Amino acid sequence: MSEAIAMDDPFRDPAASQASPRIPARRRLVRALESFSIWIALFFVWMLAAEYLPLGDNPLIPSPALTFAALQESLPELWKGTISSFCILIPGFFLASAAGIAFGLAVGASVRLQRIFFPFARVAAPVPPTVYIPYAIAILPTFRLSAIFVVFIGAFWPVFHNTAAGAASLEQRYRDNAAILGLKGFEYHWRVALPATLPHVFSGMGVGLAFSFVLLTVAELFGANAGLGRFVQFYADYADYPRMVAGILYTGLITWLSMSLLEKARHRALFWLR
Amino acid sequence: MNGLTLENLYFAYDSSALTLENINLAIPAGQFVTLLGSSGCGKSTLLRLLAGLQAPTRGRLAWHGEPISGPSLERGIVFQDYALFPWMSVVDNIAIAIGKARPATPRAARREEAAAYLEKVGLASAIGKYPFELSGGMRQRAAIARALALGSPLLLMDEPFGALDPVNRARLQDLLLEIRESSTPRKTFVFVTHDVDEALYLSERVVILGSSPGRVIADLPVDFPQHHDRRALLTSDAFHALRESVAETLAADTLQRLSSVPAAA
Repeated sequence: MSEAIAMDDPFRDPAASQASPRIPARRRLVRALESFSIWIALFFVWMLAAEYLPLGDNPLIPSPALTFAALQESLPELWKGTISSFCILIPGFFLASAAGIAFGLAVGASVRLQRIFFPFARVAAPVPPTVYIPYAIAILPTFRLSAIFVVFIGAFWPVFHNTAAGAASLEQRYRDNAAILGLKGFEYHWRVALPATLPHVFSGMGVGLAFSFVLLTVAELFGANAGLGRFVQFYADYADYPRMVAGILYTGLITWLSMSLLEKARHRALFWLR
Repeated sequence: MNGLTLENLYFAYDSSALTLENINLAIPAGQFVTLLGSSGCGKSTLLRLLAGLQAPTRGRLAWHGEPISGPSLERGIVFQDYALFPWMSVVDNIAIAIGKARPATPRAARREEAAAYLEKVGLASAIGKYPFELSGGMRQRAAIARALALGSPLLLMDEPFGALDPVNRARLQDLLLEIRESSTPRKTFVFVTHDVDEALYLSERVVILGSSPGRVIADLPVDFPQHHDRRALLTSDAFHALRESVAETLAADTLQRLSSVPAAA
């Protein structure tokens, strides 16, 4: 079974596994370039635009050199912003994941709970959580708490929905097996329903995490005094476009790193699916 | 009564068609019975009823005189291809069964006991492995080990060797017979298959189910002098005579079903 061999290195890039030794080095190089081609093209467009577009003294498109200098200068401030943002993102996202998984499993396993929850979820879930931001800020004692609340709401629904759908469509064979062994209650959920539902849980968490970043940066526009979204907004207000673009790039990098981390966790937790 | 009792058993998944019609069987404790029939005749459904995974629409179902009302560790089951949880190692799959069957066993002892069952079925090398790392034959061995670990006096098997190659299939059939010989008191087996040779080689009694709806069309004792000696059995005239008559019964049922299809449609 080839899947079993791939187990040795669970974090291998899927593209890398195609590069078997039989493929000549030149073709491998071409393949590597292909996966970077859009980055390279965008970089050139950026460079040329910054160089040749007549934009006056304070260009809206700062050159790459200017931007990277600004990035380097702002790194301490960006790092502080990252910590501030993560103090919102981590509690919001992980509480939402825990609640989404727990409720999702319970609701997915019980037709009665589905009758109770789904009519509410159908209406409540599509409400954009951004509309809660001003009210949350007004009601909750601190900005951080309100931002955590909004991230929580945004990440909760996708995790809940996916988990509930996964638990409700749990394969009959796992149910049969659990029934034969007499696994019930917590033991059933912990040892059978949760592992069997994990693929759904992780897709929900992926959507939830991406959405958390959106909500985080939007919430920070409202009242934060630090943070990634706040950084970009602050320098945009002062028309410091090199720093603003640096902030955008940095936020992109952090988002990508966070998503990759979740992907690695997924890969490791679902080893038995390969 | 000692053993399994099925009385006037009816089952329908929905009101439009009966899956099982008026099944009456008495299976004494310690007997090895195969349920033989073509695909879709309801033999797997009957096994699910015996396991308590599904309730009969009508009729009575009892084990040692006690009505069967749900799954129980008294009745272990081995499915065709999926008796194990893929996210647990093989030894954990069996340890969890031991934990349910004998909750007083300490955690570490459960794993030791599980390893012993795996050795018994020839899987000593696979103890720490996961089901996806095993071949189909090894997975079925592990599934049998789990059923044994439950300690159930009644073993229900739903085409457990259906997906295996002939060599592995023969090996596991012999393993099953060994287990049966060595168990005291003898375990009762209800074994579902559509393989006539397998049925005759393994069992003391073959119950043939006809299709649409599933019902008993023949109930034959299997009593060869060289039972369980594969080579002697396969070359004996008695075996071939019985095999022929069983195959004819099955073929007649299939023909009847095929000819009744246009009329029904």
